[in-house]
Amino acid sequence: MNAVPTIAFALIIASAVVQAVYLFRRKRRVDPLSHWFLAAAGVSLALVLATRSAALSFPALTGTFESLVFYALAVCVLATAYRLQRRLVYMPLVQFGATVAAAALLAVASSPIAPNELLAPIPALRSGWLVAHVAFSFIGESFFLASFVSALGFLFTRDEERRRSYDRITYTAVAAGYPIFTAGALIFGAIWAQRAWGSWWSWDPKEIWALVTWLVYTGYLHLRFLRRKATAHRDSLAAIVAVAGFLCTVFTFFGVNFLLPGLHSYG
Amino acid sequence: MNRFFRALKSVRLAIILIAFLALTSLLASLVPQGREGEYYYANYPNLLAWIMLRSGFSNFFRSILFAAASGLFFVNLSFCAIDRFIRERRKSIRRHGPDLLHLGIMLLFLGGLLSFTGRQSGYVWLARGDAVRLPGDRLLQLTDFAYLKYLDGRPKDWISTVRLSAGEKTLLDSFPIRVNHPLKLGLLSIYQVSHEIERALLLRDTGGGTHSLARGEETRAGALSIYLVDPGKEGEKALIRVQDAAGPRMVSVAPGDRIGSMSVADIRDIEFSGLEAVRDPGFPLVLISLILVGVGAFFTLYQRLHDMGESRT
Repeated sequence: MNAVPTIAFALIIASAVVQAVYLFRRKRRVDPLSHWFLAAAGVSLALVLATRSAALSFPALTGTFESLVFYALAVCVLATAYRLQRRLVYMPLVQFGATVAAAALLAVASSPIAPNELLAPIPALRSGWLVAHVAFSFIGESFFLASFVSALGFLFTRDEERRRSYDRITYTAVAAGYPIFTAGALIFGAIWAQRAWGSWWSWDPKEIWALVTWLVYTGYLHLRFLRRKATAHRDSLAAIVAVAGFLCTVFTFFGVNFLLPGLHSYG
Repeated sequence: MNRFFRALKSVRLAIILIAFLALTSLLASLVPQGREGEYYYANYPNLLAWIMLRSGFSNFFRSILFAAASGLFFVNLSFCAIDRFIRERRKSIRRHGPDLLHLGIMLLFLGGLLSFTGRQSGYVWLARGDAVRLPGDRLLQLTDFAYLKYLDGRPKDWISTVRLSAGEKTLLDSFPIRVNHPLKLGLLSIYQVSHEIERALLLRDTGGGTHSLARGEETRAGALSIYLVDPGKEGEKALIRVQDAAGPRMVSVAPGDRIGSMSVADIRDIEFSGLEAVRDPGFPLVLISLILVGVGAFFTLYQRLHDMGESRT
């Protein structure tokens, strides 16, 4: 079973290579294969989590390795769904960025900072609220990842039509991720903390950074609200805020764990 | 005056305050909070340490700066929410998702304030048979304690089984308090927070009741007070401070010795369960506000995405 994450990683890399080939071809064509590689990688990662959950008799979402695998799984599912949907204009760069990010997450998962030893959760982590907290937070963050890539696409593109498409993808991704992230990071997190320690908010570094992330995306949505009197300057500002929001999620997960000790030191 | 109210309810002000709160919170998370002044002078350049202490940045989330920005944000949000709600009522297709979200955040502010000012907590170590008095003249007694481990020796659960009584009446015969499974008594909740094995002095009173004393703990029976100074090592006597009608004195005791109306039953390692009692009058409001925020956020963005889809077709 230890080989399954490696197989998933190989499938994601294969998907990224196929996408890169089509991305840099002169004649624009949508590749017919890469999303199936991503879907297969998603199934493999789901299998990893299901097997570990069965061994633990508890949803395997309580360690750094499992969180990274879940995050990569959410990104693979989202990238596949984005490729297959028909409502938004398909921009290959968004799927490619998400694929590279999924590969990076699995690369970190295989590094020494995320030991894959199967450890049963300590008492404080044996809670359904924690599982919902982690799962919803990462699903929300996978949408933020898509918004990050499309916001970068927006900032580095001159073509007005492409900018409009990137802007729309950024907004819809934030709009979809925001309620999920709010539920996971803030609501379920607060309820779990109250059940476990009797303190729903402790100004712990991870809590502060989750709040900062939420504030940044709240700021983004309000900037978009002002868009009726839109200027190119304001659209660029909104895209920069979307980029900053995702960088906050990265620091919340990695930076806080390794640089700012607190209540969340286990994951 | 109209300009003043327009400014107070403006989305621009909201964005400025959101940016200010995000940026200052972010900076505060990088600075260790709530330390003594010497700590900042020892770890930061003098000028920076002085600024941190003067501006309240060393304890930012309790500072006037944070309170003022949050207060202004609350006012801005309130004006904005009322204004938006009135405008929305006049429309044929109403979108009340943002109103729910705004109301939820306003209630979250109030709930947070209630929690911040009214939250009380107390910590107690109990051995099997020990009891602690709760508000309302209720007695909580630890009847059993179990420490469950996984096969690899890591902790799986701590379970304190308790009985709750008021006078002669038993209110709760047996309730297992576990981590993530507190005992709820109205606004008061009792949490399982830790576990210790410690050398302790076991005393028996004339009624046959037992009292376990860990180092630094005290028990009283009428005018008699016994404080355990040092439980000693295996085979050694324990050192206690006795206070009664004869005055205070230090005494070394061994199992079988009498101290006034008490006798020493044993000196041995025993398990203590760490329980924390928390009374948070703000949490029910916080819970309601969180539900409103969640439902409001979902409806706001679902409706917005739906409207965008409609506008495309």
